[in-house]
Amino acid sequence: MKRSSQIGLGAAGVLLVATVWSMTSDSQEENLVYDSLSDCRAAGQLTAQQCETAFSEATAARLKDAPKFQSQTACEAQYGANGCGSATIGGAQYFIPALAGFMLARGLSGGQAQAQPLMPPTTSACPPGSTQPECQQARSSSGSSGGGGSYGSSSHSRAYSTTSGRNVTAAFAGGSRGGSVSTTSVSSRGGFGSTARSFSSHSSS
Amino acid sequence: MRRVTLPPRPDWVEQVERLGFAFHTIDGETYWDESAAIAFTLEEIERDIEGPTEAIEQLCFAFIEKALDHEEILTKLAIPAEHWDYIRESWQRGERNLYGRLDLAYDGRGPAKLLEYNADTPTALFESSVVQWDWLEQAMARGAIPKGSDQFNSLHERLIAAFKGLREPLPYRLHLTCVQGSPEDKGTVDYLADCAVQAGLDARFTYIEELGLLTDGRFCDGANQPIETLFKLYPWEWMFRESYGKALNRSGCQFVEPPWKAVLSNKGLLACLWEMEPGHPNLLPAFFEGDPRCATLSARHVRKPLYSREGANVTLMERGRVLDSDDGPYGAEGHVLQDAATNLFSAEGKYAVLGSWLVASQACGLCIREDASPITKNTSRFLPHYIEP
Repeated sequence: MKRSSQIGLGAAGVLLVATVWSMTSDSQEENLVYDSLSDCRAAGQLTAQQCETAFSEATAARLKDAPKFQSQTACEAQYGANGCGSATIGGAQYFIPALAGFMLARGLSGGQAQAQPLMPPTTSACPPGSTQPECQQARSSSGSSGGGGSYGSSSHSRAYSTTSGRNVTAAFAGGSRGGSVSTTSVSSRGGFGSTARSFSSHSSS
Repeated sequence: MRRVTLPPRPDWVEQVERLGFAFHTIDGETYWDESAAIAFTLEEIERDIEGPTEAIEQLCFAFIEKALDHEEILTKLAIPAEHWDYIRESWQRGERNLYGRLDLAYDGRGPAKLLEYNADTPTALFESSVVQWDWLEQAMARGAIPKGSDQFNSLHERLIAAFKGLREPLPYRLHLTCVQGSPEDKGTVDYLADCAVQAGLDARFTYIEELGLLTDGRFCDGANQPIETLFKLYPWEWMFRESYGKALNRSGCQFVEPPWKAVLSNKGLLACLWEMEPGHPNLLPAFFEGDPRCATLSARHVRKPLYSREGANVTLMERGRVLDSDDGPYGAEGHVLQDAATNLFSAEGKYAVLGSWLVASQACGLCIREDASPITKNTSRFLPHYIEP
């Protein structure tokens, strides 16, 4: 293949995956990732009904397929602090990783595959104290929003894991980032850009 | 290689806007044009575009080595003498480059010919990397082109990988900048910032007009944050001549593209490459204006300013008569004359120029721009391409 196998776009909140065409198969997919039902609705890529269906599928699949732990501590050892919640399954109490988002493959010709739950990244991908931006996003915020933006706003990436234990990173438009304090002071400003102003022409090609 | 007329997607505006592509229409004129596509064979892509692109890049590296040792070449390229050491040091330190675009004439017959090298500030990147990629997927899905088609376009993956390799240790903080008031430039930089974030970097945008200078000599962004690494969609030849040009040397900033790209991002390169490798199959004869050998050029040739962008001030001449030109502000530093390409792809009364992308000096993508005139301008339309199965 001479092209990228997948393209994630933070600003648009989409993850596009290349179709590998087998000449006998007619299926093709685009993977969409949302953190919440409201993000899915706000992004406008699916109808409200499709979002609700996907969300309830992901919720049900999480209870069914997510790894189950006997204690909060055992669960958090794998999914990080605040990465787990309790659930009652078949009358028994378990601890399972939280629902951090959901991903669905949208068939471009109309079909839509079942939505998959996304859980916090495992501590192997995002160890405690990790400085990787996608891990910080995943750990620090609950209910952050993503999707529906366009280029022009700052973006961030976010790590997740799937019920099969695979770690995935999606990218989103998003909130601001804290800045550090500079101890030096500014001596001047505006020393670049004058040629563009005087030419009022393109600085790129 | 052929031009295939296709019905545009009925909702193409929504489809490209969902990707965040805001400049599909520029000044009321269509820029993204999917009413046609250019189809290639894999052999045409690999033998005639990918291979020659990397060969020209290697030739360019050999030229940089030579130019940095020959002051008369740097003088001919109109690079200010006070910045020669700065450029030499960036080359000797091995500062990595991110991307560039070779513009090629190619009609499917014979070798592609280099028209120019946009080594410093190329745009048309986001639409090449993402929009035409998504177009391909959907065109296959709706049966407009054969399933199993492909595209010469691993730009997205290569850009993310290249950001990881620009400096160590990872993750580093990367500032990105461009001028205010250009949606096309801003869209390109925003896309690169997105790639940088996916490479794990701490990416921050600031307009070039906002850049400041700290008391310790470093540049800073609009929020006074010191800048360590700066991607600038702003030409080196302008930066050298502006007031902060004299602060470059002491700024400790790693620039992307690196300063040595100034040697390539100059139409004088065309004459210099021809001087090094006369008769190279992928080069057109070219000389600096005033060189007596200009008399050996074809009657039909092109006059290009050393510094010019988007086709500005380029003139197509035939026996001293102007056939086509584009007005613009460039030309004060001198000109080169280059034989007009005889292998521009032409169909339905239009001309297409191929943009062959390099990321970290590897050929990895293609864009096609089509115009009613043989000079590709900033009003040219972008056509998607595909490789036939």
